Amino acid sequence: MKRTFSLVIVLALSLTACQKQQKQEYAGVEGDVVNGTPLPPRQEGVSFFSHNVAKGQFQPIYFAFDSFQISPSEAGKLRQIAGFLKSGRNNVILAGFADERGTLEYNRGLGERRAQAARDFLISLGVSSQRIQTVSFGQEMPADPGHNESAWAKNRRAETGVVK
Amino acid sequence: MRVLYLFAFLASALVLFGEDASGPVITVRKGTSIVVETKEITGAGGPAALNVLKNDFQLSGALSAGDASTATIIVSGSATGSNFSAQATEKTGGVILQKTYAGDTRRAVHQFADELIETLTGQKGIALSKIGFVSDRTGHKEIYTCDYDGANVLQLTHDGAISVSPALSPDGRRLAYTGYQSGYADIYLIELPSGSRNRIIKFPGTNSGAAFSPDGGHIACTLSKDGNPEIYVTGLSGDSPRRLTHSRGVESSPTWSPNGSEIIYSSDEKGSPQLYRISSSGGAGRFLSTGYGYNTQPNWSPDGKRVAFNVRTGGGFQIATMDLDSGVTRIAIGEGENPCWGPDSRHIIFARGSGLYLFDTVTGKETRLVGDLGKISEPTWSR
Repeated sequence: MKRTFSLVIVLALSLTACQKQQKQEYAGVEGDVVNGTPLPPRQEGVSFFSHNVAKGQFQPIYFAFDSFQISPSEAGKLRQIAGFLKSGRNNVILAGFADERGTLEYNRGLGERRAQAARDFLISLGVSSQRIQTVSFGQEMPADPGHNESAWAKNRRAETGVVK
Repeated sequence: MRVLYLFAFLASALVLFGEDASGPVITVRKGTSIVVETKEITGAGGPAALNVLKNDFQLSGALSAGDASTATIIVSGSATGSNFSAQATEKTGGVILQKTYAGDTRRAVHQFADELIETLTGQKGIALSKIGFVSDRTGHKEIYTCDYDGANVLQLTHDGAISVSPALSPDGRRLAYTGYQSGYADIYLIELPSGSRNRIIKFPGTNSGAAFSPDGGHIACTLSKDGNPEIYVTGLSGDSPRRLTHSRGVESSPTWSPNGSEIIYSSDEKGSPQLYRISSSGGAGRFLSTGYGYNTQPNWSPDGKRVAFNVRTGGGFQIATMDLDSGVTRIAIGEGENPCWGPDSRHIIFARGSGLYLFDTVTGKETRLVGDLGKISEPTWSR
């Protein structure tokens, strides 16, 4: 049920974001229409680790287990980021992470999908897609090194790096 | 020599078909092994060569050690340091294989073992193959390589970042991996003989999970440049990326069919990761029902018959295999991650904690190949 709900949210978001993409919701549908918004080219000398990127300015966006749905409790954080971006000229890098309860490569994909879900949400709020880059670290660099639910909940996240 | 080869060929043919009325009939059946008595290997390098050879026979699963009363094949040889000579004969005296190899003794022994196993069983051996894996021994995840038996461990990358998801080319001469030294996940390609390295796939977003096509000419991988992690096929320099999947979910871990015409991958478009099969030229992904809720890290056997993958039940990871003809899935290994088939389509390597393990799918036997190197993950095996 949770997933159905998440699919509905994602569908709603994608319809808002781009009306042309409504037929591209299932794997293997042929065509050139992408069901996401292409990423802008990387900025030279800018990455999630570079000194010109400020981390910690915004709270991490947290996710449920094995999910990339933006929950209502996290949407407010993204609205705050959208407000900041719309009132200024900074670009951001969204970094996605997963907890340790998945296999490694799948978690890289899941972390990326979380970063992209946050990006799609910002785009739906009117932020230009050209200002948001993504990266996934999968289950590397946990925020909490513990092996319990409270640690895992902190590790399923997307962090925002603001390009200065 | 030509006469000898001819004789060897005839002898092996007789062994294989069991038509030698005068000698013992050797029947090779799945699940049974051929008993071999490995006699002395003379010369300065003899004792070391003997150990390697016995280990090769044992790890193959196709052969097992015996003495004069049980063995049907007798192996002996000499190792001088620069040359390794060995012969395998039937108990009755017929020569099955007799060869001399120059160069590194360990490699020569592996070559002899593979040739003998192929002669006796018709199956490709694994003794000459190479393994790659990730270890966090230095405090950073780096890529390592070793021989199939865990010997000659070599630290290949010294990136000091996060280096993961290694993939050996089928011929073992190249290794692709995901490196984070740019601050993003990019795919790098290392030419193993020279060690030269190129960052080949560096699109915006995350580039990861390289898998070489069977002919070694293409790479399948996960790219997120179009706004979602999807499976693509590119050339060896990351050129002309061709997108295969179109879903809103997470696609990962492509693995090729033996002839390169199809790819199996994991996708969570149904709400949890499941396996799909798609033509490598595009089209619709076909759902492969395993009966499990979490299916990742598929790896297609070189003979095309089975796919090994991770499932998750009860909080841990198991390794399952699916027979692609019947669709029957069974749990092969109770705990382990990232299965990868060997060249013989019989053995699987996988990671568990601080160990890299070899698993024989016929006998169920498990052998630890590498340990004491920190946490080991994501093994890859040449074919």
